[in-house]
Amino acid sequence: MDQFLQALINGIMLGGLYAVMVLGFSIVWGAMGVINLAHGELLMVGAYLTWIMNRQFGWEPFAALIVVMPVMFVVGYILQRTLINRIIERPQLISLLVTYALSIIIANAFKLFFTATPRSVDTVLSGFWRYGNVTIPVVKTYDLIAALIMMVGLYTFLQYTRLGKSIRAAAQNREAARIVGIEISSVYAMTFAICIALTGAAGVLVSPTQPVWPFMGPPFTLKAFAITTMSGLGSIPGALLGSLLLGLVEVYVATYVPGAGTSLGIVSSYIILVVVLVTRPQGLFGGLTAMEVQ
Amino acid sequence: MTQNNRNQQPLLEGRNVSKYFDGLAALSQVDFAVYPGEVMGLIGPNGSGKTTLFDCLSRVQDVSQGQVFFKGVEITRKKPYQVAHMGLARTFQMIRVYRKLTVLENMLLSRQWRGEGLLKQLRPSQPRTEARARELIDFLTIGHLIQETAGNLSWGQQRLLQIGMALMPDPDLILLDEATSGVNPTLIETIKERIRRLNREQGKTFVLIEHNIHSIADLCSRVFVLSHGEKLTEGMPETVINDQAVIETFFGAHVGDDEGDNDR
Amino acid sequence: MWKEYDLGRWGLGLLVVFLLVLPLLRFIAPASRLVTNSLLFSLTQMLMLVTLASNWNLVGGLAGYVDFGHAAFFGLGAYSTGILMSKAGWPFLPTLVVGAVVAAFFAVLIGRATLHLKGPYFSIAMLGTFVALREIMRVTRFVTGGGPGLTLPPYLNRPLFYYISLAQAIIVVAFIWWIRRTEFGATLVAIREDEVGAEMRGINTTLHKITAFSLAAFSSGIVGASWAYQNTYINPDIVFLDSRTAEIVMMTMLGGLGTVAGPVIGAVIVYWLRDIVWANFLQFHLIVEGALLIIIVLFVPEGIMGTLGDRSGTSLGRLWGRWLSETHEEAEVRP
Repeated sequence: MDQFLQALINGIMLGGLYAVMVLGFSIVWGAMGVINLAHGELLMVGAYLTWIMNRQFGWEPFAALIVVMPVMFVVGYILQRTLINRIIERPQLISLLVTYALSIIIANAFKLFFTATPRSVDTVLSGFWRYGNVTIPVVKTYDLIAALIMMVGLYTFLQYTRLGKSIRAAAQNREAARIVGIEISSVYAMTFAICIALTGAAGVLVSPTQPVWPFMGPPFTLKAFAITTMSGLGSIPGALLGSLLLGLVEVYVATYVPGAGTSLGIVSSYIILVVVLVTRPQGLFGGLTAMEVQ
Repeated sequence: MTQNNRNQQPLLEGRNVSKYFDGLAALSQVDFAVYPGEVMGLIGPNGSGKTTLFDCLSRVQDVSQGQVFFKGVEITRKKPYQVAHMGLARTFQMIRVYRKLTVLENMLLSRQWRGEGLLKQLRPSQPRTEARARELIDFLTIGHLIQETAGNLSWGQQRLLQIGMALMPDPDLILLDEATSGVNPTLIETIKERIRRLNREQGKTFVLIEHNIHSIADLCSRVFVLSHGEKLTEGMPETVINDQAVIETFFGAHVGDDEGDNDR
Repeated sequence: MWKEYDLGRWGLGLLVVFLLVLPLLRFIAPASRLVTNSLLFSLTQMLMLVTLASNWNLVGGLAGYVDFGHAAFFGLGAYSTGILMSKAGWPFLPTLVVGAVVAAFFAVLIGRATLHLKGPYFSIAMLGTFVALREIMRVTRFVTGGGPGLTLPPYLNRPLFYYISLAQAIIVVAFIWWIRRTEFGATLVAIREDEVGAEMRGINTTLHKITAFSLAAFSSGIVGASWAYQNTYINPDIVFLDSRTAEIVMMTMLGGLGTVAGPVIGAVIVYWLRDIVWANFLQFHLIVEGALLIIIVLFVPEGIMGTLGDRSGTSLGRLWGRWLSETHEEAEVRP
């Protein structure tokens, strides 16, 4: 029972982390039609920035958010204006290839500068709280809180600000949004920038919980894709639920399958992905099968 | 126009066919039947579900409810290529030709594939197939374009090519989705005449989705009317065209005009 | 025109003969210093790339299904050989066959699920397959040696490996050249150009796709098996190398999707770039490769052979532009 409870707690924490991670990916896909295969790498950048702040200036990772988010926002903005802009209105496979290439560039550039040696981020918030036989990692709890704050913030932003509403409108119907006078290209730029900032923030939150190295990205990308496919495009509640689900599945698999470790987490995401794609070929958002003539 | 014997079994039949997209009903409990040797018209305002009905009958789409029968055999779960092998062909409203390939190659690829294993396909095209392709292309008056890349053809010519491709496997039933839209009037007459000939001389059955009421009246022995995804009525062209309910559902539509003035 | 074509044929024949005879030149005194083991090794690697790119082209270029995880089949072949040779003591050649069969079998299995997916979803599903396989190999320690990997019996025979990869490259390229002239090749192109139309006209698209898919897998399995033996050591990370799958896509796109010579030219160029230009700077190479891919995709999507007017090629934009415009048009006319 304790093991079950422990797994439940760990799963929720992991799910919360995934939720922040997936939002950036899901919104970019939903609002701009771009499947960002460099998602994990951008997260990695956030993690490395945290490590730099941590090592060079002794900053706590959570404090690093103040620096990382604006930096990633700018990075995202520049990226969008120079590169992503060219792939938005084009066939999705192009965005796949370009972002894939981007992921390779980013990962290897970081390997060049920082070598492949895994880095660790130290935090004061180490250790556990104990309740009976159940341990709750401190840093992950704060991660979860931070994640929730961010999600609430994002939700408020999308619901109540003008830019947020423009983004949602664009996600619903690009043509109509344009007609109504919403400046699509700036909306896109802001959307992307915000999402990259979010992804970078996810990197910050992740950095104390695992080694930071240039090739840590792909599992995150894959999980983001799995969650988004499972839960539906542009559906934030869906993404949250999906993240939670994936987090729980991963932890339970790791707990009850001996010797599994993180590898099976990746495999589970993949299996979920394929199962969803195959059993619901209409997709939760339609238009997935080659044969579909909609 | 051929007489149809109503005591025969329908060639193609949809029973209680419904199709939903995200909860919206594109088709709702439609009973549809076409008999051997008929030329049947399928009309309805835009958005009434005509192409969806074709999609369901030709198995390009799954039905949400109901059954489809071809030659008495249930095909509700069959794959489109299987139905094609059984003798059903169709053209598409949104023209589907292999744009990068030549007219001839398009035709060759549309031949009868039934009973051919993969091994047989390791040959280049057979002369007999090519002869038939040329014959059909000439029959459809675009023989001079046979080496032209399909993508370079005009709209009307592409429609003709589509018809040719549909005829290649010598099908028993052809579903033509807007065979004449966007085609110039002379060509329209040609197409109509070809359909008539194929129907009379070779007994081929046709179902035509058409907006041009004249064509419908000229060609069809029976007309089926769809409105908002439901069957409104069916019957002889004269009866249907003058039916009050039909006129209302088309209110605003130009019953007397010749659509398709431009050869795009 | 006719003469040029003939000259091309002759030139090609000469090249093939030269390649065939190359290792034997060592027995001719003046040439022996040039034809080193190292040269043979390089050529072997290059020929492997040619084969992999051409295999991929069968599914990605001809049939239009862009596989982001094709290196998975390479990996299956490599692991088959690795496991059978190091754990079961098998001789090399039988493991080659097993590797190919395992890869093909897996292709049928995974293809049945993924080949029904549209463009980008297929690509990512295969990428996921690739990543998942890597982790599966890592986890199943007792069979695959897990993270630490497996060591194969060492065997230094450069000429043998050279001939294996040369033979394969020639066979595969010739196969693709031939298949395009058959109806089977034509149906693959039809599937690429308009799958719904093809299916409606009596082509069993699933069968065709799976056949092409498993043929490509079979061949890549062989490459993997051969590579494993040459390399003498395998582990999940070097076998299921991320850049491997990226390079395969890159090479073919660079040379021209769907063309015969495209993958060959692409492979040669990429190899030259990787092992000669950036030989000691792998990171630079990969970065350059990534940048190249972006440039190609955005500005020269037809690749080299494509833009030179080889009609059978296709550009990515056209390929998926069709998908995009269909989704658009059909959405507009949807009842």
